[in-house]
Amino acid sequence: MTAAAQREARRTEALDSFRVRGMPHRRFEHWRYSDLRAVLDAGQVAQAGTAKWQIDKLPDGVELFDLATPEAPDWVMQKLGNVGNRRTMVEASLAFAEGGVALRVPAGRKIAEPIKLQIAGQGNLRWLIVLEKGASARIFEPHTADAGILRNVGVEISMAEGSELQHVRCAPFMPRSFAVELIAVEAAKDAKYRAHFANFGSRLSRTELHIVLGGEGAEAHLSGVTVLGHDGHSDVTTHIEHAAAKTSSTQLFKHVAGGKSRAVYQGKITVREGAVGSDSRQTARALLMSPRAEADLKPELIIFADDVKCAHGATVGDLDAESLFYLRSRGLPEKEARQLLINAFLGEAVAAIGDDALIETIWHDIEAALPRAMESVK
Amino acid sequence: MLEIKDLHATVGGKTILKGLSLKVETGQVHAIMGPNGSGKSTLSYVLAGRDGYEVTQGSVIYNGEDLLKMKTEERAAKGIFLAMQYPVEIPGVTTMTFLKSALNAQRRTRGESEYDAMSILKLVRAKAKALQVTEDMLKRALNVGFSGGEKKRLEILQMSLFEPKMAILDETDSGLDIDALKLVAEGVNALRSPDRSMLVITHYQRLLDYIVPDRISVLAHGKIVKEGGKELALELEEKGYADIEKVPA
Ligand SMILES: Nc1ncnc2c1ncn2[C@@H]1O[C@H](COP(=O)(O)OP(=O)(O)OP(=O)(O)O)[C@@H](O)[C@H]1O
Ligand SMILES: [Mg+2]
Repeated sequence: MTAAAQREARRTEALDSFRVRGMPHRRFEHWRYSDLRAVLDAGQVAQAGTAKWQIDKLPDGVELFDLATPEAPDWVMQKLGNVGNRRTMVEASLAFAEGGVALRVPAGRKIAEPIKLQIAGQGNLRWLIVLEKGASARIFEPHTADAGILRNVGVEISMAEGSELQHVRCAPFMPRSFAVELIAVEAAKDAKYRAHFANFGSRLSRTELHIVLGGEGAEAHLSGVTVLGHDGHSDVTTHIEHAAAKTSSTQLFKHVAGGKSRAVYQGKITVREGAVGSDSRQTARALLMSPRAEADLKPELIIFADDVKCAHGATVGDLDAESLFYLRSRGLPEKEARQLLINAFLGEAVAAIGDDALIETIWHDIEAALPRAMESVK
Repeated sequence: MLEIKDLHATVGGKTILKGLSLKVETGQVHAIMGPNGSGKSTLSYVLAGRDGYEVTQGSVIYNGEDLLKMKTEERAAKGIFLAMQYPVEIPGVTTMTFLKSALNAQRRTRGESEYDAMSILKLVRAKAKALQVTEDMLKRALNVGFSGGEKKRLEILQMSLFEPKMAILDETDSGLDIDALKLVAEGVNALRSPDRSMLVITHYQRLLDYIVPDRISVLAHGKIVKEGGKELALELEEKGYADIEKVPA
């Protein structure tokens, strides 16, 4: 069978699987706070078309394949549609996306320059990155605010032994759109995946990560900031599976929710049998700026192995009145004092990006989002 | 400078200040002494404008203006400064950034031009040296992990940076060893000036040996129950507050 025929077969399979399971809704596991079926039907997903992607300048050493071309090379065929679980919206993006992009970083290649992958427009889209043994790369994935009714992006990240990827995704404020991004990561021995997600909310925004630390010593480090206002919604749901010994994961998510917005973080960690000596840490905190804003932070730990370290914490609160008074008594106007405290709260999670230029970009976006987040609605 | 008349204030539904009257003359250092829980910190918070400290009766006139009508930050810009008994730790905000934002915010509110980062840095460094506030402290998060003495020194550094007209020092001496106490007292004395008043709250004669007050008022049960010159401190040191406590509230 040709690659094109194989892809067609996989697409049909995805289509059937999506038809059978349909839209995720509140009684689906982990879709409780993002009832997609209540606001969107399967037909709309099918008709949404294909979203656009663009890479203005591909760094030397990275191979690119346009998924709109039917005859795909082996490295694409091995992974496309095969990384991670076949979740229903993943199957939808595979079934309906007419395009997308696949990237490959050959063994041993270290790409310092970030690959800027811009995602725009309405519809379904797939992207895939394959990092071969010892390869490293950075991906900056800004999404534009023109998602129409729906943007549904399926992402596959395959990391071979010793490879490293830094992934920074920035989702803008889209009050009228539904935005879904499902990311599957497989990390082999000693592979390191670092990701940062900046979320500014949409009518319904779902970022879901499924990471399998499948080889000894594999690591995943996630951080993120969510800054919401108006009726904004953002749901970050992660599932990290520690499937091998000495794997480690850290998560740090900070949320600021004002207006009538809703911030959701669900973080599930599974430590499989045999994943001895693995270490996982998880922190999620939310600041509520308005009585009508809501934050749901749900850490979840499932452990099947001995001798593992797990630490998690989740707190929801509002700005500290004493700190606010201290700053105001030194002359800072209330609004400025609040801003300073919010920035201080978010700072740690932004700093985790580690790249000055990207940090500046994210701060810029946060600044733009703060006036919304600081609105109090009774 | 400051005239408080028949001030009644409640906190958390409890009446703490019960008809307090006090006049602080321009250029004077006025000490307030009094037993634990008598309402000294409450008075300082009411003057600084802390939320939750509700004035139910009385008035506070500051340089001819109704102080109680002003927002907290407005009071600061107009020269009210409160060195707190327990300075607040604020993670994620570096001390230097805070000093810069606060000073410039006050200047902006007063319609003065803002300082650029370099001039502020110079200004802060010059003042920090005398108070032994280290470069490291300026780089760290505001008050986070500072020792009791370091926190108090930073409060005085702010006082010297903001150059307030009416400084209220709430037990700035508590938690200081003798060297630190001298250092802080020197800092405070350096700021004494004919157009600046200070309200120095303390339990101990010790501080007043170094910062010699013009007047002393004794606060008990939410009222000023006694007033006198600097010799009053010695008397209190000897006899304690026992006599005063007997005064019916
Ligand atoms: N939020 C509050 N709710 C209820 N009571 C309060 C509150 N804050 C302070 N108080 C009470 O007010 C009284 C005066 O407190 P304040 O801190 O002003 O005393 P103080 O004179 O400064 O004492 P100290 O010498 O110990 O510093 C105390 O009895 C205290 O318990
Ligand atoms: Mg006190």
